[in-house]
Amino acid sequence: MVGWRGPELAVRLGLTAGGLAVVALWWVETSAVSLHGAGQVLTAAGRVSGLLAAYLVLVEVLLLARVPAIERAVGLDRLAAWHRGLGTNVVLLIGVHVLLEVWGYGLTDHHQPFGELITVVTSYPDMWKATIGALLFVLVGITSGRIARSRLSYELWYGLHLTVYIAVLLTFFHQTSNGADFVANSTARTLWTLMYLAVAACVVVWRVALPAAAVLRHRMRVEQVVREGPGVVSVWIRGRDLDRLGAAPGQFLLWRFASRGQLFSAHAYSLSAPPTPDRLRITVKAAGDHSRAIERLRPGTPALAEGPFGLFTARRTTRGGGVLLIGGGSGIAPVRALAEDLARRGRDVVVVQRARQVEDLVLHGELCALAEAGLLTVHSVTGSRDRLGFDPLAAPYLAAAVPDIADRDVFLCGPPGMTRAVVQTLRQLGVADQQIHTEEFALR
Amino acid sequence: MNDNVGKPYRARLGFAALLATVVLAIGGKAASGAGERPTALGSAPAAVGATAVSTPSTPSTPTASPTTAPAATTPSVTASASPSSSDAGTSATRTVTGDAIDTRFGQVQVKVVLRGTKIVDVVTVQVPDRERRDVEINDQAVPILRQEVLTAQNAKVDSVSGASYTSYGYAWSVQSALDKAGV
Repeated sequence: MVGWRGPELAVRLGLTAGGLAVVALWWVETSAVSLHGAGQVLTAAGRVSGLLAAYLVLVEVLLLARVPAIERAVGLDRLAAWHRGLGTNVVLLIGVHVLLEVWGYGLTDHHQPFGELITVVTSYPDMWKATIGALLFVLVGITSGRIARSRLSYELWYGLHLTVYIAVLLTFFHQTSNGADFVANSTARTLWTLMYLAVAACVVVWRVALPAAAVLRHRMRVEQVVREGPGVVSVWIRGRDLDRLGAAPGQFLLWRFASRGQLFSAHAYSLSAPPTPDRLRITVKAAGDHSRAIERLRPGTPALAEGPFGLFTARRTTRGGGVLLIGGGSGIAPVRALAEDLARRGRDVVVVQRARQVEDLVLHGELCALAEAGLLTVHSVTGSRDRLGFDPLAAPYLAAAVPDIADRDVFLCGPPGMTRAVVQTLRQLGVADQQIHTEEFALR
Repeated sequence: MNDNVGKPYRARLGFAALLATVVLAIGGKAASGAGERPTALGSAPAAVGATAVSTPSTPSTPTASPTTAPAATTPSVTASASPSSSDAGTSATRTVTGDAIDTRFGQVQVKVVLRGTKIVDVVTVQVPDRERRDVEINDQAVPILRQEVLTAQNAKVDSVSGASYTSYGYAWSVQSALDKAGV
């Protein structure tokens, strides 16, 4: 683990404490006497699973609700990774809940599990809603799995993902109308409902209202699209009061464009130049359908940006000394912006740009211009590992290029494989975990 | 730095931790109540206060103490003539209404039909029916409890699995009826 920093640890502990509180609610509300017989035990286990699953579903929503405090503490890229990892577990836990409840009820009532399932779904209050909700959760889980995800278009996946809000609502009712912990205890029911309302409020404020207000305020439009290299384009965006966005070099925003197929789903693109009050620039690699369509954006197209996000900024440095920035592929975009920012703050900046081939060294000219101005040092490393027969970013090469590497803060942005390998290398070279700062480039 | 990158087993560990939490909670709860339930009459679910029932171990006469417990209803001892009872010469049946016993899910109350000192029937006055689940549990449990009382000829019934609270309330209500009847 590269440094669980204080604020992030606080978020983790807070969320864990919430889960334990939910289990505690069950504990207080349940008499040991009621755990009599296999059926009752299974039902109780199903209930705890259900309570935890419901709580974790809300955590999932909250993680990506753009709540500023959580955002600052953890960073959207890592929140997205948490969301993904936890998401699978939540769907599995919902499955466990359904299985155990039906099995347990069946044993108690001396019914066959399948018959019991039909009885529960058709005759218990609000259960048909919960059933639809659970099926939606499973659908979203399956379509987010690795296999399905690679075959579905981003738009379809995203659209299905949005139905989670409906699923959360649908499954809420069966909890308070059937849940033994809530039927008999109005305090617990009130607290539970308040928890749902609080999360809903976060979503409405930070995912809907504030982004909508920002759109009206900044009125961003595409100014021009510039080709930077094979399959890589920069988009210049004009707007009003862009300094009021508070975007720092190295951060990214979630972008939508008012053109076909670009409005529905948002994509994370990093700023590739320090922002000015009337202009922003993003640099995008045409990897998917969506980013390929970026190339065809016409000047004047309205742009909607949500953000800024990310902790890949100058504020993250732990010391006043030198900085090493490593950008791989289109991961060079935030590195390019951050390098200029750090250099202009008087820091000793070294940039290592990694690309598969020379043509892929996008924005390299700009970095060279900064180097010629005496602001920073640039190294470029090209050639795929397969063709070279070695990893040019392995410890000996990196140490030779940057001898004082252990004394520097290191910012790293590139494909996940490269990120993993370089983090290992940096540790070998004696760079402390607190000095390593990464941006999860694979965020989608 | 995200440690989950390329480490899917971490996510599975998370799921294992969740399941472990569930198992620990259930295990802990079950252990905390070990040895707490020999029979329904003997067990005392925490949610039911000791005040809910008068001391049935000291039998009271049918006429005495109409309100022995807060939850008790007026004991209506109806000596019905009911001459239709099969065997001639035997005494007429009488119906004694037991106390309404508060349980966590609602009140349980029964009427006991006696011929002399013999319990010939137990009629349910009320069982928890707030929730569909309660109805389903009690539809199962009540016939069993009734049969247990008829067989044992007293209120010492075994708790029916899945219906601990109803069993408890049922037993105490029967007991209070028997006390009132002076059996």
